[in-house]
This record gives sequence, structure tokens and C-alpha cells, in this order.
Amino acid sequence: MPEYPPRRDDTPTFPLPHIEQTPPSRISDHPEFHSLRRAQRRFGIRATVLSVGGFLLYVLLSSFVPAVMNQPLFGRLTVGLSLGLGQFVIMGVTAWCYVRHMRTRVDPLARGLKSRLHETGSRRARTTAPPQGAGQPLRPGARGFRTW
Amino acid sequence: MVSAAAIDDSSLQLTFVLFLTVVVITLFMALLTAPQRDEISEFYLGNRAMSPLRNGLAMCGDYLSAATLLGSTGLVALTGYDGLMYLGGTTVAWMMVLLLIAEPLHRTGRFTLGDTVALRLPRQQRPVRVALAVCILAIATLYLVAQLVGSVALLTQFTGVPSGSTRTLCVVVIGAFVILYASLGGMPGATVIQIIKAVMLVVGVLFTAGWVLHHFDWNPNALLERASQRSGSGLSFLEPGLRYGGTVSNKLDFLSLELAIVLGLAALPHVLMRLLTPRNSGVLRSSVLWAVGLVGAVCFGAGIMGLGATALLGRETIESTDRTGNASVLLLAHELGGSVLTALLTCLAYLTLLAVAVGLTLAAASSLAHDLYSEVIRKGRATETEELTVARLSGAVIGVLGILLALVAWGANTATLAFLAFAIAASAILPTIIYTLFWRRFSAKGALLSLYGGLLCSVLLAAFSPVVSSAPGSFYPEADFAWFPLQNPGIVSIPVGFLLGWLGTVLDKGPAEEPSAHEKFEVRMLVGADD
Repeated sequence: MPEYPPRRDDTPTFPLPHIEQTPPSRISDHPEFHSLRRAQRRFGIRATVLSVGGFLLYVLLSSFVPAVMNQPLFGRLTVGLSLGLGQFVIMGVTAWCYVRHMRTRVDPLARGLKSRLHETGSRRARTTAPPQGAGQPLRPGARGFRTW
Repeated sequence: MVSAAAIDDSSLQLTFVLFLTVVVITLFMALLTAPQRDEISEFYLGNRAMSPLRNGLAMCGDYLSAATLLGSTGLVALTGYDGLMYLGGTTVAWMMVLLLIAEPLHRTGRFTLGDTVALRLPRQQRPVRVALAVCILAIATLYLVAQLVGSVALLTQFTGVPSGSTRTLCVVVIGAFVILYASLGGMPGATVIQIIKAVMLVVGVLFTAGWVLHHFDWNPNALLERASQRSGSGLSFLEPGLRYGGTVSNKLDFLSLELAIVLGLAALPHVLMRLLTPRNSGVLRSSVLWAVGLVGAVCFGAGIMGLGATALLGRETIESTDRTGNASVLLLAHELGGSVLTALLTCLAYLTLLAVAVGLTLAAASSLAHDLYSEVIRKGRATETEELTVARLSGAVIGVLGILLALVAWGANTATLAFLAFAIAASAILPTIIYTLFWRRFSAKGALLSLYGGLLCSVLLAAFSPVVSSAPGSFYPEADFAWFPLQNPGIVSIPVGFLLGWLGTVLDKGPAEEPSAHEKFEVRMLVGADD
């Protein structure tokens, strides 16, 4: 029987209570938070400029310097056509770099900050109210078998 | 228009039977999986325990419309290189989703885009929600009409130009299915049909592309050689400029189109809504990666199919059947696999446009019910049952609106309508998303200005472009008020949308949002709150 859990059983109100309770200056002034923001933003912008900007550049080149793009490379394959194929390769490489970057640079920082956030949150919760287990949300996918 | 029916009677009957079977099966599945409790989260987000592969398939299904399958393949068949660039744009647009939008939006979102913006601008969220709902409604209606008009165009491939009553019947039947799926099935129902469609699309396109390559002994050079020979334009078939060449304004027009595709596809409301459904950002990342691969594979396969259509059939056959080239996929299927493959691919095309229409209707309905009704009209005091009823009703209303508009505008070019929707998405929705996520100072006035300004600018430019008047294929060929030379407004309206967002923010002298709102938002966006 599949279950359809609502998004957050434990925190029905929209702004999460344990974030609300944390003074925002605490976590967002943290140097790790700044490097997390920098790591995510810088890579996202660079990779977007490379893949999307590269593609638009390719469109511009095709429109305005067709002589270069029409040079035969191999059989009927011209420079333009192979650059078009190259877009697919660039896309694959960018996606791979994105995953690697997120795994090595961004996720560990975010995980560390999150546990710090939960710590502060639960400490505050302990002083004000009995603990509610806000740090352990439901794991709806933790079933006995692996879905495809 | 079409001079003769492209495909014989037997495959029409086969298609009919196949399509009905698939629709009945998916409808049953959609109703079985439909929301069982009166919970809005289930209606908006569906089954949140789905695996990344299934989520990725559903994303791919939402993303690729019949315009990609039929329109782009036809464009490749008729214009070679230019058509291939168009397919490349469709693929690259998904990178915007992966790299910039997906994870931040998922971490800060709840049900609609309005929720993300409201988290960022809590004080003035109501006017911004209204503006977002207006833009989403405009985009969804345009794109929905494009899908429904596409169904008539598809019918034309079989029967020649259909009579008025056949046309009405076709649009009304497809529209009724859309309403059933969206209003009764909600997101779970939409997910079922998206996954089935995506599996069929990936398998069908790759299978046909493989067959084409097999026909040429897996030698791409032979395929290119043959395609350029039979294209009627020789080597220039494999060179840029066959469609968008010549004058500078033509070239700018193409750049404008590519801009709208690359930036607009990523901001279509049903694609954004789909991004919110995975249960945590890890699943989301894997899902989006699956979708990158699937979208890339389908676009690649569609390119091969287009080249194969020209190589095997020749340009004259394709063009004499349908001037726009939309028939090329079905003609190719008929050439390769006879009536069975034709019926399969036609059924796939119908299912594709049905599925995309369902996704759009659902996105617009959720925006109306959640942003407009629950948060603005009832000021957040609506019960879940109430909001759910409104969502179902607005799904029906949007569906009926789409049907009526499609009946009025049945002669419109599907691609033109779709491109206008992309341009609006890129110039109204995208600036707001980007600024909301990445600009600390962004204010409600900036959001309002960029949303309404981007919408107005793209609609007005399109109204005064050769699409509406002066050109032979336009709505009013006799009148001439087309002072804007390009068919696609994107190259002007997208910068205008971003500029207005910046201007509105800089000039905003009203009460500022609390700085803590932005910090809260940023913590949520980077560190996350779920999983």
C-alpha cells in the first residue's frame, strides 16, 4: 500500500519553527555559511555561463560567420555540426562537474550547518518547551524494497 | 495547408484503437492513484515517495511537448542545420534548471512559485502572488491552446483539412480528457500520464532513430550525405541559414527565438511545479540528472529522425503533405514500419500533447487556487477542503477556456503560440525567480514591475510583429501595423523584464522588508529545511 505523506508532518506551519527560533544572525554570520553561499553561487553562475552562454555563442557564430562553421571536417561533418554535437558533450560534462562539486564542496558544508542549526534549535526547544523531535522528520522512502 | 491525407485509413483506425486503449488505461490508473484524502499537499505534489528515475521521467514528460516531437523534427527535415540548432536549444535549456533553479527552488518552495516568493517577501506577498497568478495563467492558457490546436493539426495529417464539426469534436474530446485528468487526478494522475508518456516517447524516438541509422548501416556520414542529396538544396542543407539566413533581422530573429527557448523553457509553470514534487533535494538532484539524460537522448533521436525523413522521403514528399514539416515523423514511420509504427507514433503524439496539457492545466489551477484564492482572497484562512474544491473547479474552468480559445484560433500556428508562451515565461517569470533567489535587495515593487512589464512587453511586441499582421501567414494578412520587425519578441522583452525588476527595486522607496526575512530565506535556500 503506497502512502502519500504530506510534505512535513512535523512542521505544519510554513516558516519552520526551529528556524524562526534561531536568531538569524547566528547561522548566517557564520563563516562556513558564507563559503557555502560562495561555493554554490560561483559554480552555478560559471557553469550556466559556460553551457548556456556557449550555446548562444554557437548560435551567433552559426548566423554571422558561416564561412568558419561550414569548413568540412570529416566527410559531410562540418565544423558547425561537430560543434553542435559538442554541445551535448559539454552538457554531459557540466552535469557531471555539477554533481561532483555539490558532493564534495557544498553538501558537507550544508550538512554541518544543518546539524548546528538543529543543535541550536533543540537546545532552545529544551529550554522553552519539551523536545518534539523536530530534527527527525519522517523517512517515507525507507521501505523494505528498492523502487525503480 | 495540407493537400492530401498523409496516411492511409488502416493506420487511422489502428491509431484510434491504440489511443483509446492508452487513454482508458491511464485514466483508470489516474483515478486509482487520485488523491484519496482531502489534502492539498497530495493534490499539488502527488506521490512524494517516488524514485529518482520515475521523477526524472515525469520531468522529461512535462518538459517535452508535441511541438518538440513533431515540430522540431519537421524543422530538421526541412531546414537541416537550423532545425538541429533548435533541438540543441531545447536540450541546453534544461541545464538552466539543473544548475541554477532546481535545488534552491525546491528547498524554498512549497506548492507554487508564489510560496517561494512569499517566503522571500513576506510583507508584500499578496500583490506579488496576484501578479504571478496572472502571468502563469497567461502562459498556461497560451501553451494549452497551442496543444489543443496541435491536436487539430495532427488530425489533419489523417483526414485532410477536417470539417468544422470534426474539428470541434477533436478539441472538445481532448479538452475533456485534460479536465478529467487534471481536476480528478490532480498531481498523482498527472504523474501517471507523464511517466507513461515519457517511457513511450523515449522508447519510440530512440527505436525509430535506431531504425533510421540501421537503414544506413550505422554510418552517420551516409545519412548526412543522403539527406543533403534529397533535400533539394544540396550541401547548404548542412549549413546554417536555410531558414533564418539572409538578412540581419532574420538572424536576430533566430537568436531571439533561441534566447526565449533557452531561458523560457526553464521557467514554464508546469516544469517549475514538477520540480517541487521530489521528497528531498537529494532525490531532486538525481531526478533532474535523469531528466538531463532523457531529454538529451530524445532531442538527439529527434534530430536523427528529421535527417532520416529527408534522406528516405525527400523534401518534396514532406513539403507537399504539410508545408510546416509537421508530418515528417509520421511519413517516416510509414516508410519504415508501415501502418503499425505510424499508429504507434501518432498515438504517442496525441498522448504527448494530452500529457503536457494536463500538466499546464494543473499548474494554472494550483496557482489560481493556492495563490489567488487561498492566500489573497481568503487571506490564508481557507480550509484545505475549500482550497481543493477551488483547485478542481479552476482546472475545469481553465480547460473550458482553453477549448473555447482553441476553437476560435484553430488555424493559428502551434509553434507561434508556443514561442510566445516561452517569451513570456523568460521575460516575466524568470527575472523574478533569479532575483528572488540570488539578489539580496530585490523588493516587491521590482517583482511586480518585472512580472507585469515582462508580460505586457512580450504580448505588445508580438501584437505589433509580423506574426499578427502584414505577413502572408499572419492572423490579419491585409492589415499592416507590424512596426516590430522580428517574429519573436524575446531579444527585447527578456532584457526589459530583467531591467524592470532592477529598476523597480532601486526606485522602491516604500517600507522595506525586514532584513531577517532575506536571511531566513537564504538559510533555508542553502542549508535546507527538509530531509
